[in-house]
Order: sequence, then C-alpha cells, then structure tokens
Amino acid sequence: MTEKEYYLLPFDFTKISGKEVLVNELGDMIISPKGTVQKIVDRTLPKDDLYKSLVANFFISEQILPPLIEVYAERLREKKRFLESWTGLHIFVLTLRCNQNCVYCQASSQNEESKGCSMSREIMAKSIELMFSSPSDAITMEFQGGEPSLVPDLIEYGIQLAEEKNKEAGKEIHYVLCTNSINLTDRMLDICKKYGVVISTSLDGPEFLHNSNRGKKDSYEKVVAGIAKGREAVGKDKVSALMTTSVEGLNYPTEIVDEYVRLGFHAMFLRALNPYGLATHNDNWDEYTDRFIDFYKKAFEHILELNRQGTYFVEEFAAIVLRKMLTPYCTGFVDLQSPAGVINSVLIYNYDGGVYCSDESRMLAEFNDYTFRLGSVNDRYEDLVFGKRAKEIANVWANEALAGCSDCALKQYCGADPVRNYSTQGDMYGNRATSLLCRKNKAIIEYLISLIIERYDEVMPIFRSWVS
Amino acid sequence: MTLIIDKSVYNDSVISKVVYWMSGDYKIVRTSLDEFSEQIELIATKAESSESLVEEKFFQLLNDFKLRQIVADETRDIKTILYAKAFAEDEELSEEDIHD
Ligand code: SF4
Repeated sequence: MTEKEYYLLPFDFTKISGKEVLVNELGDMIISPKGTVQKIVDRTLPKDDLYKSLVANFFISEQILPPLIEVYAERLREKKRFLESWTGLHIFVLTLRCNQNCVYCQASSQNEESKGCSMSREIMAKSIELMFSSPSDAITMEFQGGEPSLVPDLIEYGIQLAEEKNKEAGKEIHYVLCTNSINLTDRMLDICKKYGVVISTSLDGPEFLHNSNRGKKDSYEKVVAGIAKGREAVGKDKVSALMTTSVEGLNYPTEIVDEYVRLGFHAMFLRALNPYGLATHNDNWDEYTDRFIDFYKKAFEHILELNRQGTYFVEEFAAIVLRKMLTPYCTGFVDLQSPAGVINSVLIYNYDGGVYCSDESRMLAEFNDYTFRLGSVNDRYEDLVFGKRAKEIANVWANEALAGCSDCALKQYCGADPVRNYSTQGDMYGNRATSLLCRKNKAIIEYLISLIIERYDEVMPIFRSWVS
Repeated sequence: MTLIIDKSVYNDSVISKVVYWMSGDYKIVRTSLDEFSEQIELIATKAESSESLVEEKFFQLLNDFKLRQIVADETRDIKTILYAKAFAEDEELSEEDIHD
C-alpha cells in the first residue's frame, strides 16, 4: 500500500433523503451517510464494510491501476453497447393526414382529405435502402403519421420490400404501427397479422379525459374498440398503448392508471407533453413541468400500491431508469441515452424524402425549421450519419461532456437531447440550470432513488420484478 | 444579497459551477475584489428565499463542487485509461500513464 492508502476512481455524488448517493461510471450506486465523500477524499475512511464495498464496486482502488480494470472496461462497454449496434429504430412518417386531429397533436397532422402530404413509393423504396445500410443486426421499421393506417397499401409495399431485401441481409426485423386505432380496417389488420406488426396506440385515460384531450365525442369508444380488434388480430401482447399527459390529465393520476389496468394492460409510460407541434400551444411549461412531476409521483404511488396488492403493472420510464441502476445492461430507450439517441439509435424518413435525426426534429421541420434535417433519401447513408450536420450534433450529444451534466451524479441514468435543447432553449447545447427537461428527469430519478433509500424492503421486490 | 468568497479556498472553476446552477433562479454578478476574495451578488429572478437559506445553499454547492473537482482531478488519468480500454481500438495504456 502506498502513502495514499488508496486511489480514487471516477465517481460523482448527490444528496438524497439525507444520504450521500455515490454513482460510478457504470451507474452502480452506493448509498452512504452524509460526509462520506469528504472522508473518501481526505483518506479518513475507516476500513469497514462501506470501504470494502467502495473497493469492490470501483469507487476506490488499493492499487494505482485496479486489478480488475479489464472487467471494469468490459462492463463500461456493455453499458454503451447501443453504440455498437448502430441505428436500430427507423421511423417512416408515411403521411401527415389524420382522421382525428387531436387538440394537443404533437405530429402536426393534417386533415384526412389533405393532399401532397403522403410518402411516395419511390421515397419509401429509397428509405428502405438507407435502413438496410445501417450496420445494425436488428432493425425496427416503425410506421408513423399523421395516421399511417390511412395508407395500408404503402405499409404493405414497404414491408414486402423490406422482407425481400432481408432475404439477403438476414437482419432481425420488427415492424411497429403507431396508430390512433380509430379505424383499424380488416385490410390493415390482415397486414399486421401477416407480418407480425406490433400495434402501438394512444390512449390518454378514462373516457371523459381521452375525449376531452382529443376534442371528440367518440374517440375513446373507437380507440377501445380498435384495441380489442387489434388484440384479436395480432394477440394481446402485441398491442400496447401510450398516453400523453395533457394539462387536464394532470388532475387524474390514479384514474389514468386505473383505466390502463381495466383495459388489461400490464405497463404504461407516464409521458409528459412535449413542446413540439401543436403541443407548443400550452403556454406555461414551467408550471406544467412542476405539476407533471407531482402527477408522476401520485400515479407512481398508485402503481406501487397495485403491485403490492398483487397486480403486476410496470411504469416504463421508471423501469428504464431502474434497469440502468440495477442491471449491468444498457437500455434501448432513445430519450435517455448518452451519446444521445438521435442518429445513434434512430433515423426518421419523412413523407417528403427528408431524413431527420429524431421524431421531434421532423416536427420542427413542419414549422419550417430544418436545423436537424440530415439530408434526403437520395443521399448516401454515410453522408447522412457522418455528414456536417451530424457532426455538429455529435459535438453536443454526450452528457459526459456538457456543462451541468458532466458532474451530475444522475448522468448515467439520464440522457442528452440536443433537439429538445434547441427547441426549448434556442441552442443545441442547452442550459441545464434552466432546462425543464433536466428539472423533470432529475426530479423523477431522485424520487426513484429516494424510494430505494426510504422504502427499500417495500419497493425493491417490485423494482426487481420490473427489470428482470 | 451579497456573499464574499475566499478564492484561495474555492477556485474559479468551482465558483463558476455553483454560479451556473444558481443562475436559473438568480441574476448573478461576480466581482473580483482582490487576489484572495470575490464578491458574488445574487438578485432573485423568481420566488425569493430567505437570505440565510440562499447562503447555506451556495456554500453547500461550493463544498460539493470542490469535492467533485478533487475527485475529477485525481481520476483524470484513470478515466482516460478506462475509456480507452473500453472503446479505443489498439490503445495500450498502463500504470505509467497515471500521473500523481
Ligand atoms: S439533464 Fe440534468 S439530471 Fe440529466 S444528467 Fe444533465 S444535469 Fe443531470
């Protein structure tokens, strides 16, 4: 042992529930009494169980180079495995036409009869070429809109083309239809059944709330019927639903959760509104964010209660964060990645042939802001993902290298989002001190850690069941 | 409110990080008084908190960022080695690359 007694390894810390929470580069967390970091730094730490745990978990090392550095490096590589697999999610925005046009629409939809806002077969074919240029072994082809079920022929054409190409490429390929389920025709469902297309629909909660959000009288009825029809056609586990918390929805945390349980879902993603498209019309984002955090906690407590009573029900955002905290694996969720999910994990092929780096960035384009347009489907894959625009984005896509994030203890569980920074703060780099996304993520991640600290025996069996 | 910070205790990088995080709620004016001290003026831009709470928060952040700085400084080389081993091809770094 040297005069230094031990050597520090990289870690960050924060204070939650009266404890110091230490997090290393792997996202491994040690909960310790206040004052621990000072003792670690001062080398006054007693050689007790905490000391042994700090050594065993790569927070300090008794040798200048930890003997298990190779293991540490391998585990770090595993945490960033999503980088090796390259772009896996390919979103095809088939049309802006929609048969619903919801009040808070985030997809800048157009009327069902609108012309000139649907993808041509030529653009579809070129987009598929690009999708297959991605080195990823597993790809997901996701159909979005507007309402993509309005163009079933185009979907079938795209899938057939992809299947044909895949005979040679041999990739694992998944298909997802993002639909409002308002009018899932037999034709559409036959396609889903034939090609194993997973259906992802939107449901905001109980009837009164869902209909009020959508500004329709019968939307809920149609969606629920669509879910039933979809389940019958493709199987219960192949139909999922996504909610968006409108301002009104903030008042109904338990009712929204109960609606999902009532309809037989086993998971939900408590999702905040995002400031794109028509959703920007909500004028007080500051207040909305604080209320959303409160909403999230109330809904989450209700979900915990359901689990305690024996109903297995997962909150997806928490499950992603907990997977990062409690397992050695990386998660494939594009919004909580560093380097960011944009380009690395997702590419968007817009109906007009533009290629964008995220779903949100093509929504900006609907408002004539082409900052995140990487190029067009006529470009070479390499020129899109290694091009000038991609490089500019890459400068600001790792929270390890961003002011505020770089010494935030929660960065291993959070992610970088240059597009959101740009759309809400005017520049891709962003300012964490005023970022509402940072405020929301931080509050929720700290809340989850506080539950682990304060109610360990109660919550850990539930959390483990969610991540296993 | 105005605080005086001892620059020999908290370096510029540490003070800057605290100012960064406080800037969401305060307009902050930094004035170097002399070699050893800096004046920080905080003007609330949102709801005001009591001065003693703000002062406590400011000094807590200073101490936390000072600790983070020590950890970052002491682990810079090992972090480089770790990331090189994890992600760089053909990068052979060893104990000799760690500088005390
Ligand atoms: S966005 Fe906020 S919570 Fe997330 S890593 Fe950055 S500073 Fe931390």
